[in-house]
Amino acid sequence: MDEVALTDWLRRATGWADLSLGPMALLSGGAIQQNWRLDAAAGGARHAWVLRTDAPASLAASRSRSEEFLLLQAAFQAGVTVPEPLYLCQDAGIIGAPFFIMRRVQGTAAGHRIVRSETPGGGRVALVEALGRELARIHAMRPTLPFLGEKPLDSGRKLIATLREALDSAHENRPILEWGLRFLERRNPGPGEIVMCHNDYRTGNYMVSDAGITGILDWEFAAWGDPHADIGWLLARCWRFGSPHEVGGVGPRAPFLAAYQAASGRRTDPARIAWWQIAAAIRWAVIAIAQAERHVSGQEPSLELALTGHIVPELELDIMRATT
Amino acid sequence: MTRPTPAELLDIARNTLLEQVLPELSGAARFKALMAANAMAIARRALLAPPVAALDDPALCAAIRGGAHDGDAALGAQLLAVAEAQCRISAPKAVE
Repeated sequence: MDEVALTDWLRRATGWADLSLGPMALLSGGAIQQNWRLDAAAGGARHAWVLRTDAPASLAASRSRSEEFLLLQAAFQAGVTVPEPLYLCQDAGIIGAPFFIMRRVQGTAAGHRIVRSETPGGGRVALVEALGRELARIHAMRPTLPFLGEKPLDSGRKLIATLREALDSAHENRPILEWGLRFLERRNPGPGEIVMCHNDYRTGNYMVSDAGITGILDWEFAAWGDPHADIGWLLARCWRFGSPHEVGGVGPRAPFLAAYQAASGRRTDPARIAWWQIAAAIRWAVIAIAQAERHVSGQEPSLELALTGHIVPELELDIMRATT
Repeated sequence: MTRPTPAELLDIARNTLLEQVLPELSGAARFKALMAANAMAIARRALLAPPVAALDDPALCAAIRGGAHDGDAALGAQLLAVAEAQCRISAPKAVE
């Protein structure tokens, strides 16, 4: 990281000629993106920021930093609890890749720790209620961003086609994933309401302190889709971090759905939630295969990516248990 | 086969990592050592596991996709057994 070039760029972006940076540190999490802790001082004030940029190899399925910045702005303006987006740099020449700066929020996003504690978010029920209200705010967003494209007529059908395409380009044959996709195809509930979906709404992707949720993170997969897609992803067994609690491993289902329905005015459909929970396991398996492939191909040797490949059997077991 | 066997080597390497190296580590290095121990455990279980037919045949995949196995309970049972066998290597807690 060229801290001199970064400091110069930040001085221009902020207009603070005396801006200086403290030591930077890479924050945990993010196989696709990197988040750096950034402390700036300017005009006698201190600024706690995060710099978000691409990891060395990025997945084609994820949005660019500038698109994610615009989505974060739209979410911030719509009243979703997110880290405030501040400055976007599309020039890859400053630190080697485009990046943006957002305000740093309090709390933790570490899934394993969150699910094992009774206190994050003010307790398990309070936390799932807050997750329901935040999701309702996300689903109420109506951003006018051209890169989001047309709303799909049938987002379930679209997902099946996308995942089959990804499997076809992978180097492995996975009959269980084919079995699961065919199961979904035969039981597709069909066209329904289409809203702004986060598409990675789960424990590990929100910051939480004992006071409550402090920021919904990782907007790189946001797209138009069935609102039940986000609910199924959050409730899927694979995002419970080994905890028995149904909603993201943190708390019970009923208060989550009640809070979501109260805030959105939308009645959720249990059959669609169940469909999207199976879809969640298949989608995560396909992403995990792609991440492992980055290691296996030699493109990006990484123990973390290598181990991600060994998540797939557990997801396949979830799929077979749900479909036989 | 020369003793110790590959599985025995992984076993002692992993125990040394966990019992003698890990206590010296903290932060990101500790996390990486735990990941390395996990990788060694998976490799050791794979070496000791009975051979399993993975059914990873492109023709089978295409047939499932085309609907030729809709409602095929026998294949469903076979695929469930494959998933369980692979979990005994990659994620044994899932099949406990």
